[in-house]
Amino acid sequence: MELIGLANYAIFLGILIGIYALLSLGLNIQWGFTGLFNAGIAGFFAIGAYTTAILTSPHLPGRVGGFEMPILVGWAGAMIVAGLIAWPIGKICLRFRSDYLAIATIGVAEIIRLAIRTEEWLTGGTRGITGIPRPFGDLPYVQSQLAYLVIVALAVLIVYLLVERQLHAPWGRMMRAIRDNEGAAAAMGKRIEARRLQAFIFGSTLMGLAGALFVHFNRSITPEAIDPMIATFLIWIMLILGGSGNNRGAILGAVVIWTIWSVSEILTDRLPTEMAIQAKYVRVFIIGLMLQLVLRFRPEGILPEERRTRTAPPG
Amino acid sequence: MTAIDFINFYIVPGLVLGSIYAVGAIGITMVFGILRFAHLAHGDLATMGAFFALAAVTLLGVDPWVALPVAMILAAALAVGLDRTFYDYLRDRPKILTVMASLGVALMVRAVIQVVWGTDPQTYQRGIVRPDNYFGILLRNRELYTLLAVVVIVVALETFLRKSKWGKAMRAMSDNPDLARLSGVDIRHVTVLTWAIVGALCAASGFFLGINTELHSMMGWHMLLPMFAAAILGGVGRVQGAVLGGFIVGLAEELSILVMPGPYKSATAFVILLAILLVRPRGLLNGKVL
Amino acid sequence: MKSKITAGLVASLLGAVLFTAPAHAQNQRIALLSGISGPIAAMAPAMLEAMQLAVRHVNEQGGIGNGGRLEFVIGDDACNPQNATDAATKAVNIDRVIGMVGPACSGAVIAAANSVTIPAGVLMITSSGTSPQITKLNDRDLVFRTVPSDDYQGRALARTLKERGMDKVAVAYVNNDYGKGLADAFKDEFESVGGTLAGFSGHEAGKASYRSDLAQLARGGADTLVVFDYGDGSGLTILRQALENNFFKNFVGADGMKSDAVIRELGADNLKTFFTSAPVGEASASLDAFNQAFAAAGHDPNAIFATTSYDAAFLMALAIEKAGGDRAKLSEALRSVSTEPGEPIMVGEWAKAKQLIAEGKDINYKGAAGDHAFDENGDVPGNYSFFKVSGTTYEAIAEMH
Repeated sequence: MELIGLANYAIFLGILIGIYALLSLGLNIQWGFTGLFNAGIAGFFAIGAYTTAILTSPHLPGRVGGFEMPILVGWAGAMIVAGLIAWPIGKICLRFRSDYLAIATIGVAEIIRLAIRTEEWLTGGTRGITGIPRPFGDLPYVQSQLAYLVIVALAVLIVYLLVERQLHAPWGRMMRAIRDNEGAAAAMGKRIEARRLQAFIFGSTLMGLAGALFVHFNRSITPEAIDPMIATFLIWIMLILGGSGNNRGAILGAVVIWTIWSVSEILTDRLPTEMAIQAKYVRVFIIGLMLQLVLRFRPEGILPEERRTRTAPPG
Repeated sequence: MTAIDFINFYIVPGLVLGSIYAVGAIGITMVFGILRFAHLAHGDLATMGAFFALAAVTLLGVDPWVALPVAMILAAALAVGLDRTFYDYLRDRPKILTVMASLGVALMVRAVIQVVWGTDPQTYQRGIVRPDNYFGILLRNRELYTLLAVVVIVVALETFLRKSKWGKAMRAMSDNPDLARLSGVDIRHVTVLTWAIVGALCAASGFFLGINTELHSMMGWHMLLPMFAAAILGGVGRVQGAVLGGFIVGLAEELSILVMPGPYKSATAFVILLAILLVRPRGLLNGKVL
Repeated sequence: MKSKITAGLVASLLGAVLFTAPAHAQNQRIALLSGISGPIAAMAPAMLEAMQLAVRHVNEQGGIGNGGRLEFVIGDDACNPQNATDAATKAVNIDRVIGMVGPACSGAVIAAANSVTIPAGVLMITSSGTSPQITKLNDRDLVFRTVPSDDYQGRALARTLKERGMDKVAVAYVNNDYGKGLADAFKDEFESVGGTLAGFSGHEAGKASYRSDLAQLARGGADTLVVFDYGDGSGLTILRQALENNFFKNFVGADGMKSDAVIRELGADNLKTFFTSAPVGEASASLDAFNQAFAAAGHDPNAIFATTSYDAAFLMALAIEKAGGDRAKLSEALRSVSTEPGEPIMVGEWAKAKQLIAEGKDINYKGAAGDHAFDENGDVPGNYSFFKVSGTTYEAIAEMH
């Protein structure tokens, strides 16, 4: 039955959309609510992926790790380590305008990529780590995929509710106040650097979690999984198009962009080989152009940020 | 290792690489200083400049060094065009949006290069060039020209910035944009002129990298971090600072192999960047901090 | 979550309506995956052409089963696991392929196998995934390769260099699964046969200068440099800079370095001391047949992985024919058509194979790249030759053992 195949593909698409939605939500905390330019999303994603891989995979001679810990421990570890990496970077760069953070995070993603490829004793080097468990991975294909979709959907839902709650708490209002008028917020005695650092770390832990979900889905991870620019940029366009500052927008952006990205590949792969190669790059070009168009004509995205109060709230 | 080997295999390559970074870093420091944002498409613009020169070499059959000015003019026009199309309308919005737009431009420029020229490495001239021996120091003509070209570029640019009316306007805008506007500097003209110079410098750095190694669609992107490290190390807005920073980063990358495993060579620039932000964010020559 | 699934369904239905040909019951569809974009983009076209040549041979000589045709869909693994799982999922679920030829790169193979084809029970034959890691996959006998593991090549090259009197060498490898896998196997074997490694270091691809890396390697005093890298990538830069600076006298590369780009860019005159190893089909009638057919189709038969790609696709077709299109019997059928006993089948001999299968007789495919007697891990032993540069191309000067 063709229809079952399509449903399978839709489930697969749904799982990846969920993972991208987590990344997009993480970026929303950093950019949408705080105005921090993280150009190294792929790096934090990789940290999360490798941390859980090291914690939960079976042991292999010649490599540290392979502790076969429960998957939830792996996920928690992924979030913690991603946050720990974010901390010094934020500490150094958040004193300045976000331009510096952008450059530094490009660098971080690059260094993480280098370290993953080089430190064989920890990451399996270029061979990566295999044999990573997947929850309900022993079920037949379709059921196993469905179960994972449910897990990812739950993760997105929980993160969404958590972030929403946090943003409507005083913490969130303060973040927006800092973003919109740094001087005024500082004058009111807000500790801007510390708040920004919190947001940067919080967002990065979510990116780490997304990496963890990705690696358990694939059951393996190799350095090629982390293509720093394309992955990072896709998430940016998801957030900007969906509506930065709006969590539902962030998720919607992930749905729209990943569907376009994945399905458009079905089209380009049907082209003759020579053209198919060029079509890949044309796709990247179009994504770049799309960002320019959104920035120009609909900077608030599809779902604009909800502005409950026009002025920065006191307190 | 003898001293002469050290010079030939570490110092000379470091200086050549440094001068390539320097030319790129001058452009970065100008955008950073005058237009006040981090231009992330700088590396890919350099790649484009290098490929413009390749197009001139293959289509017109000219010598690569003749193709250089052609590429500089084309890249200048491209940079001005990119500003008009993608950056200009963001002028009154937060600058960070322009940074983001420049990241998008970087991907777009690279995609165009990959569609037109593919992803295989290419060269201006085939074959290999063995170096000449100057009292034990091994130098190729192209390396000599690269070093000389950097001197010429820096002197010309400094003269322009200090003596000419437009150069003074650019410096005024870099020092204090509000004051510059009040004293009648035509912001629009200065912006266009800045992009033209930056585009030409991009093409030059891409060309120097291409002639000393190979052309590749990712060559400029890999240079981005070292170029930024150089610009910030020297002090944002300082032309001599960018040159100094370029040479330090270039030398540090080549020397890093003595103390670090090979794969981490490209981490050198990043370490320098974080270190300078930590201890002296204004840079060696006391530039700006945004 | 519902909206996501709906969006996905709508999108995939759209794709399916537009792009899947009406499936006749007897037609069989396979996926051809290669690294169309990404680091091995230069190699992918020849690999895909060779696979398609095999498909043409099948369809021109009677097709599959009872008048069915062998259809194919092409996918791009981009040499990266994420794209590979994506492409494989589409192929398996949307296109409902019975088997998969590819992906190209080892990381892509491992990811696609682990998360898509093994769970879905789809047979995979890769023609260029050379990582020793693939051997170890827990694959329910569903992952095969027509290209030998890098382990064989690294070891064979080590023995060959030792035999040729290159006792002291320095090794520069590109830091990815290909370069590292080869370098480790080479190091292990070279030291065990009594050679001396005077330098051993990895480098990142895409850097502008490797001169200080090379100077560091040269300090060990070796006059031979072994480069495990790609000749149309950073391997070319390394070779150029090593030649220009007289760091080493002899240069040796593995299959990745056996690229026309090296000769084109550096000139044969400068490459008199440059040698490469590469897997070859043992000189055989089958290889001649392939070379002739591929050249007639307008392609370079010496292109890397062309022979293995042809064999992978042809073996897949033979297995489908033998299994009568039953997916569950495919891997068993693959073993049957590729191993003794059986009537030998050469490249292009589809009609003959088809008839023998129909008569219930055993066949044994002798491919362009070798006999493909799969071991229990689905691996094949390698045949390698040692090449030198001759004119504008490479010429085999010795067999390697």
